[in-house]
Amino acid sequence: AKGSEVRIEYAQAAKYDYDLVVIGGGSGGLACSKEAAQLGQKVAVLDYVEPSAKGTKWGLGGTCVNVGCIPKKLMHQAALLGTAVKDAKKYGWQISGTVCHDWPTMAEAIQNHVRSLNWGHRVQLQDKKVKYLNIKGSLLDEHTVKGLTKAGKETVLTAKNIVIATGGRPKYPTNIPGAMEHGVTNVALECAGFLTGIGLDTTVMVRSIALRGFDQQMAGLVTDYMEAYGTKFAWKCVPKRVDKLSSGALQVTWTNTQTGAEQKDTYDSLLWAVGRAPETKALGLDKLGIQLNKETGKLIVGADESTSVPNIYAFGDISEGRPELTPTAIKAGKLLARRLAGQSTELMDYDNVATTVFTPLEYGCVGLSEEEAEKRHGKDGIEIYHAFYKPLEFTVAERDASQCYIKVVCERGGDQKILGLHFTGPNAGEVTQGFAMGFQCGATYSHLLQTVGIHPTCAEEVVKVSITKRSGLDATVTGC
Amino acid sequence: RFERPKRLFSSFRRHAVTRSMASDPAAAAAEATRFDFLVIGGGSGGLAGARRAAELGAATAVIESHKLGGTCVMWNAAVHAEYLHDHSDYGFDVGNVRFSWETLKAKRDAYVTHLNRIYRNNLDKAKIQTIQGYARFTDDPEPTVEVNGRKYTAPHILIATGGQPSVLSEDEVPGARLGITSDGFFELETLPKRSVIVGAGYIAVEMAGILSTLGSKTSLIIRQTGVLRNFDAFISTNCTKELQNTGIDLWKNSQVKSVSKTDKGLEVTIVTKDPEKKNDEEKTSVIQEVDCLLWAIGRLPNTSGLNIGSMGLDTDEKGHIIVDEFQNTSRSGIYAVGDVCGKALLTPVAIAAGRKLAHRLFEGKKDSKLDYSGIPTVVFSHPPIGTVGLTEEEAIKARGKENIKIYKTSFTPMYHAITSRKSQCIMKLVCEGKEEKVVGLHMQGLGCDEMLQGFAVAIKMGATKADFDKTVAIHPTSSEEFVTMR
Repeated sequence: AKGSEVRIEYAQAAKYDYDLVVIGGGSGGLACSKEAAQLGQKVAVLDYVEPSAKGTKWGLGGTCVNVGCIPKKLMHQAALLGTAVKDAKKYGWQISGTVCHDWPTMAEAIQNHVRSLNWGHRVQLQDKKVKYLNIKGSLLDEHTVKGLTKAGKETVLTAKNIVIATGGRPKYPTNIPGAMEHGVTNVALECAGFLTGIGLDTTVMVRSIALRGFDQQMAGLVTDYMEAYGTKFAWKCVPKRVDKLSSGALQVTWTNTQTGAEQKDTYDSLLWAVGRAPETKALGLDKLGIQLNKETGKLIVGADESTSVPNIYAFGDISEGRPELTPTAIKAGKLLARRLAGQSTELMDYDNVATTVFTPLEYGCVGLSEEEAEKRHGKDGIEIYHAFYKPLEFTVAERDASQCYIKVVCERGGDQKILGLHFTGPNAGEVTQGFAMGFQCGATYSHLLQTVGIHPTCAEEVVKVSITKRSGLDATVTGC
Repeated sequence: RFERPKRLFSSFRRHAVTRSMASDPAAAAAEATRFDFLVIGGGSGGLAGARRAAELGAATAVIESHKLGGTCVMWNAAVHAEYLHDHSDYGFDVGNVRFSWETLKAKRDAYVTHLNRIYRNNLDKAKIQTIQGYARFTDDPEPTVEVNGRKYTAPHILIATGGQPSVLSEDEVPGARLGITSDGFFELETLPKRSVIVGAGYIAVEMAGILSTLGSKTSLIIRQTGVLRNFDAFISTNCTKELQNTGIDLWKNSQVKSVSKTDKGLEVTIVTKDPEKKNDEEKTSVIQEVDCLLWAIGRLPNTSGLNIGSMGLDTDEKGHIIVDEFQNTSRSGIYAVGDVCGKALLTPVAIAAGRKLAHRLFEGKKDSKLDYSGIPTVVFSHPPIGTVGLTEEEAIKARGKENIKIYKTSFTPMYHAITSRKSQCIMKLVCEGKEEKVVGLHMQGLGCDEMLQGFAVAIKMGATKADFDKTVAIHPTSSEEFVTMR
């Protein structure tokens, strides 16, 4: 990279080992360190994976690459292909016998891809002249980082600025032994979704509601689809204990909080998806008085990602009040690097962030949920355009499209500025990105109508919405 | 400025119905049945215009010679073919796979019939009269149309007769009639074993892709060196390459010279020019045992039987009806929308133009017209193509090379991370001026068909490259690559 050839090596280099040390080599940490190096800073990134309770470890790249977005999407894809096989028969494809799925084949293929990404990241760091150290970092003081190798060997680094981007890890409930799928997050639903899709008998145990924080009507459509698709749901249930039987199976006992009844059943595997939390204990933050949110354990940060200590910054999953998403971590990391290098003052804009939940029926959204819009503008201050549509590909496949739905929440009157856009359907991620762009530019309802539809697609239904919730009319799309 | 009060329309409607029921054939032939709005053609444009006009209170009739509406589900079948190849990479043991064209055709036909019924119901519900038959303008002084001996007139007549595939005459290519067009494609009862498709436009590309992926050994004959020559060169080159990658036998610089029938199938004689050689030396080849020759060489407007000459309507050299931005023809009171005009041959365009016209004529919105700029379109190739706005070449020509900046990227979508079969995704932004306003977006890759719509909204709003960059990505998707381009 051109930047690193023009390195400023005066006072800083003499005073500190590095201009910037980043603790955490995930989506955020890597983006930040590479950007900083490109701008001429001397950078080191520390990445270390503490093995999970079962001893699982992984390579460079963080949650997204190893145990998050990437393998999730590939498994989701595997599940979609399972459905596609069923659809294919309706399209005239004659497939002899039953189609079954082989987990090891898929797992190995995905692991190979992940390893190639680990390798790719290492090569990229080298190319961008970022020093990579596979050591566990912690803070000694405002400018000093201690690193411990797996073997226990210690290294000490000094830096002008320190960035903490160590992310989070899944939470394990402390009062219940064992593991059980008991989730309210998108992670729980996504995992349950693809497990069902590849043919496994799966149950989701939900304490209260699904997809907390998301539009609840949409959340309902997502889970309704999953139930129709074959995933079992144990609503309003809380696990009490897990016992391992002599057969090797796990027996789970739970309380149905609605009836008060106690129930039990046996399963082969249990998956916790009850939330994620940062691991800050080993970072040495209390020594420096870095403020944490007591409830979540996350670092309290300013709009510029600064912590309560002047030259120490934090961003990504580890910081309080931020979306736990790869793209926001990447973008925030790059902007932070530019600010630290004195190249810019631009702050990360955390509003208008689009996202997609990769459940069997995907859900993409940007902006406010209906509930949030109502709260901010009042029920009479918003106009909601919606439509139940049927993807063309579902017709011949004879698939139920009852949950394929679009909702555009707008300001009522005036330009009818779009406050939130919600879409359930195939390829939701691909559909939503462009609309998120329009949203970013301040799109109004009339902008949607002015745009000619692309036919035949699912996306065109968004620019055709015309029935309002207020009218009470049937919002099912018929023909043209 | 004359404004009709709405009440008049409803009285006209009742009047029109009574008249056509009460009069005897002889009297009806002499007297024309009067409507407020007469639409010739029951396709996308015609139906949309008719329904909107009826909603606004106009007494409306639609004249249609065939079936109402129609669509295509063939591409989805072919997409499944590709997925089936990838299944084992994803851990699925799929065993033996065979494709049954008959199963698909039956279902597709049933769906199309279902749609025909929906369109008919929509028209009946809107109390729009449907007249079955071919329309032809008479020589009466006031624009009048005759169908099966009966005359109809209206102060506003819309021509939305669409188009049909072009065919070559026997003089141009002996044996040309042994081939079918896209219309014939939908009549096919079985998957052809050996297909030859002629043409380089999007219809040829889509047909070739479908046939080849469903298992027909397919050749594509093109006159020059690439397909989709009116698209951005980036897309044209990539699409040509992807066609070959999927196993289509591409014949460049070639034309069909003649076709003959043998008991083993058709024999297609092709002449190929070598562009390197200065002389007009041609190489002749023959493809044998062809069971499907498909001409996809263009479309022509359906204006021949209309007798529009009597109305003095201006047409171009191909017969397309010339209209202004408000869909007015050269004769007052006669309008045209859709494929018959030859501009932006797309269903949503015809629908939008039809509706805008209805609002202009029957709601007094005299500025109501369709903006033909920034119309997004998708080609259902393998993988699909999405495009909106100007090509790089068009942009440079219009604004000058120094004012245009291009951003490009290409990558292998993550879907292919574990498949042996690969396809690429390519993306291009054409930006203009200092503020880098996005005037064109072009892409080909998995998911591009569903990706384009949202970006089309933003581009219509005048989005700049900075707006793209400000938008946070959705991960993991292919679309995110557009908002992280360098």
